[in-house]
Amino acid sequence: MAVTGKRARAVLLNALVAAITLAVLAPFAWMVTVSFMPRYESSRYPPPLWPSRWTWGNYYELLYRRLIDGAWFDYRIVPALGNSLVVATVSTLLGLLLTVPAGYAFAKLRFRGRERLLQLLIASLVVPGQVAMLPLFLIFREIGLVNTWPGLILPSLAGIFAILFVRQATLSIPDEMLDAARLDGAGELAIFRRVVLPLLAPVTVTLALFMFLGSWNDFLWPLIVLADQHRYTLPVAVAAISREHAADGELMMAAAVVTTLPVLLLFLALQRYYIGGLLGGSVKG
Amino acid sequence: MGGAHSSLGTGPTRRTLLAGGAAALLAGCGRRDPNALSFWATGYEGDYAPYLLTAFERATGIPVDRQSLPGTAAHEKFLTAFAGGSLPDVLMLPSGWVAEFAMIGAIAPVPDAALTGDTFPGVVRPLTWAGVAHAVPWSVGSQVQFYRRDLLAEVGYDAPPGDWDGWRTLGARLKRRHPDRFAMLMFLNWWDTLVTFAGQAGAYPLKDQETRGNFRTAEYREALGFYASLFADGYAPGVSSNEVQDPLAAFAQGWFALYPSGPTLLTDLHRRTAEIAPDRWGTARMPGPNGPGRVSAVNNSLAVSAATKRPEEAWALVRHLSSAESELHYQRLIGVLPARRSAWASPQLADPVLRPFAEQMEVPARLPTIVEWERIRAEVQLVAERVVRGGLTIDEGLRAMDARVDALLAKRRALVAAGRIA
Amino acid sequence: MTRQERAAWLFAAPVLGIIALVFVLPTLLAFGLSLTDYSIYALADWSNLRFVGLGNFADLLSTPLFWRALRNTALFAALGVPMAIGASLFTALLLHDATVRWKPVWRVALFAPYVTGVVATAVVWRYVLNTRFGLVNWALAQVGVAPVDWLGDPRWSIPAILLFVTWKVFGYNMIVFTAALAAVPGELMEAARLDGAGWWTRFRHVTLPAIGPTLLLAAVMSVAGFLQIFAEPYVMTLGGPSQSTTTVLYFMFEEGFKWWNLGQASAVAFVLFVLILALTLVQTRIGKRYEWL
Repeated sequence: MAVTGKRARAVLLNALVAAITLAVLAPFAWMVTVSFMPRYESSRYPPPLWPSRWTWGNYYELLYRRLIDGAWFDYRIVPALGNSLVVATVSTLLGLLLTVPAGYAFAKLRFRGRERLLQLLIASLVVPGQVAMLPLFLIFREIGLVNTWPGLILPSLAGIFAILFVRQATLSIPDEMLDAARLDGAGELAIFRRVVLPLLAPVTVTLALFMFLGSWNDFLWPLIVLADQHRYTLPVAVAAISREHAADGELMMAAAVVTTLPVLLLFLALQRYYIGGLLGGSVKG
Repeated sequence: MGGAHSSLGTGPTRRTLLAGGAAALLAGCGRRDPNALSFWATGYEGDYAPYLLTAFERATGIPVDRQSLPGTAAHEKFLTAFAGGSLPDVLMLPSGWVAEFAMIGAIAPVPDAALTGDTFPGVVRPLTWAGVAHAVPWSVGSQVQFYRRDLLAEVGYDAPPGDWDGWRTLGARLKRRHPDRFAMLMFLNWWDTLVTFAGQAGAYPLKDQETRGNFRTAEYREALGFYASLFADGYAPGVSSNEVQDPLAAFAQGWFALYPSGPTLLTDLHRRTAEIAPDRWGTARMPGPNGPGRVSAVNNSLAVSAATKRPEEAWALVRHLSSAESELHYQRLIGVLPARRSAWASPQLADPVLRPFAEQMEVPARLPTIVEWERIRAEVQLVAERVVRGGLTIDEGLRAMDARVDALLAKRRALVAAGRIA
Repeated sequence: MTRQERAAWLFAAPVLGIIALVFVLPTLLAFGLSLTDYSIYALADWSNLRFVGLGNFADLLSTPLFWRALRNTALFAALGVPMAIGASLFTALLLHDATVRWKPVWRVALFAPYVTGVVATAVVWRYVLNTRFGLVNWALAQVGVAPVDWLGDPRWSIPAILLFVTWKVFGYNMIVFTAALAAVPGELMEAARLDGAGWWTRFRHVTLPAIGPTLLLAAVMSVAGFLQIFAEPYVMTLGGPSQSTTTVLYFMFEEGFKWWNLGQASAVAFVLFVLILALTLVQTRIGKRYEWL
């Protein structure tokens, strides 16, 4: 009796988890199937869950420059995709370059004002980033960075979370290892490069993933600082189309797929680092 | 609100997609053609602009880079672009914004008076700043009432009445005939109908050099009272635009018989004749207290950025876009009505359905052209909505409107008092 | 300066400099801006700028939409934080159970919504919540519930957006709680089980105290996050219907970038900052009382 009771419980719980997962993934699945439906097919009741006819038409309309009656039409999603890729990559590389050494310095190097600065950094986490956005726009306007890519990337390089994250991970490196290297006569830069960085490799990958995804999904600042449609990143481009094409469900789903697919694929490939990083990383996450 | 583009036919094969995808990626790498003029427009005008631009490019050899903005985000996009020094060479502005953008020095004065001649009275006045026109009228869209001929015939009317008492009588008859339906549709979150009624009643919303609200007048009280009574008596449903996903379908199904709207509704009606045949609807001027009068309008104009590096070419583009042929082309494509009077002589606009628009355009409502007007209009409608939904009485509503508008105009008041602006 | 100090400044100065430029300086400027009446008139002509002291704050207090935004934001947080934390805790407990198999698969799948961006998923959910053609109403119809006008009815717009936001963010804290649950002392659990304690008793007296600090931190960060909701109303409802989803940040964005009242908008930003700070302090005070900190 106890065995069947336990068995029933196991079946129930597994079924529950499966059901919840199905419900959570349903919007993604629907997003994909609707994007392949012919125009206006999804505006029906009951909502169709499977295309009557699979078509690439929505992707074609979304991604290509088309000639209609002698005029060229283009949603400019492909340039936006390219922009997002470049901006996210540069953001990530520069971000790593700036924050990983800083995190190490706060963990292992002794310098005047270290604790004070650390407290200030932690305290600043309470301030919402949007407070700075309005004056930052004015500042960038004065120095001519509005509607430029440096203007877009610069604010994302102020990685306070990243510094604390790296610091947390670096604390676990034994001091003796570093002191031994110093006794051997190695310079601080050399120690960092040859001793610390290899140990931080998994943390660096996790951080790179956080930064890339953060930059790819960033919406508010690009919305404010980019005026030129040619420079739009993907979220801004999709938001612009979504206002006036609210009724074109299939087209918007295709746009959503284009925006989320790269991210999901990247996540699936590197989920070990992402989730592992959250499980074992800094408490502030 | 269907998509802007024609149907796709059989669609591409996977091979062409992949091949083209690579080419598109290489081609579209975020580089703008440095020789191209830039042109920003909103709504349908933005989506369909390429049709007008190809003729210009062919004639002058100047490529034009067009950007279509969503109408609801246009104000902030234009302002941030100006603040960041990246306004396009040519921009489409609703007429109500021209004075604002001229004041901040974003747009240049019109160099050639011929561009702003040949239009309707009252259309150019809002476009002037410091005595000079700063934009060229492009399209005019007065509000008229669309009505269901068959539903009005049921209760014994050939055409809707032109005065307010007549409208209420018609509303009562329609309601008696079909108690579960309505007589007219006026979205509670759109300001157009209330502004029309105020204009009809002769109420001007601001006073004291446009530094204070002027809502506690007999005329405005009459307008707001009439507006609220239509909802109170059940002639109009108390709904906002997002509660009715497809108003045209509702109109076709007879959910209401009178539909105040602008010329773009004509395009939708022409596209969806399967749902509602052309002989079942007509147009007439909006009613006033004693007959048709001044109504609100959504007019669009073209302006050139003050910071453009190529003013002659920019004005050439404006000249092309605002020419009679271009405006008539647009009328065919998307239904917006030309601002050029000479275009109205064309047989294309002889359709009797367009006559109320033509008549109405001769008498637009007189409205303020100050910076804060857009915001005032929106906030006044918010108060009106509260009055309709029963949260405020008419008097409380008028007092709230005055209070809110006075608050919004505080800065302007200070500047006028200091003599810094007119 | 010692060798270590030199290296430390070499390593840290660049990023600290950037933080100073894009964070510290603008934040200070924001406080300064909030004391002026910077508006579109100032954009036209610098000399139109006036110092108004606390005038912007007084104006805010008499702006009905500001109070509405505060109320909406408070509702978002009050409803959303329990929803999100509850969902995260529930799924974490579920996945912690020994009888559940394929845990890594479920974990990855349930985390997926978190990594995607707000705009694309908001667009998808706008259709999922469609009154006539959306999945949610269709699912409700299967169990006999009448269709709800999620995004068009002011009463349901906040729950609608919260449904979406919960779906999107619960995965993050689910992982955080999973780590915390793994750290619950096993001997205590065993002892409680041997004493015959039921599941609920074990949860209250063994699990909860052990994950207390994590719960508190998650709550603090969730509250701060929910108070900063902007992209969802921006994409899905434009702050409507009837301003029912206008949040403080949405109000600030419109005030600042649509109407160019940067002075007023900065005052709003300052108010938001004070709010988040106050709530964080209150929560940490409560946490200290329960010795969770």
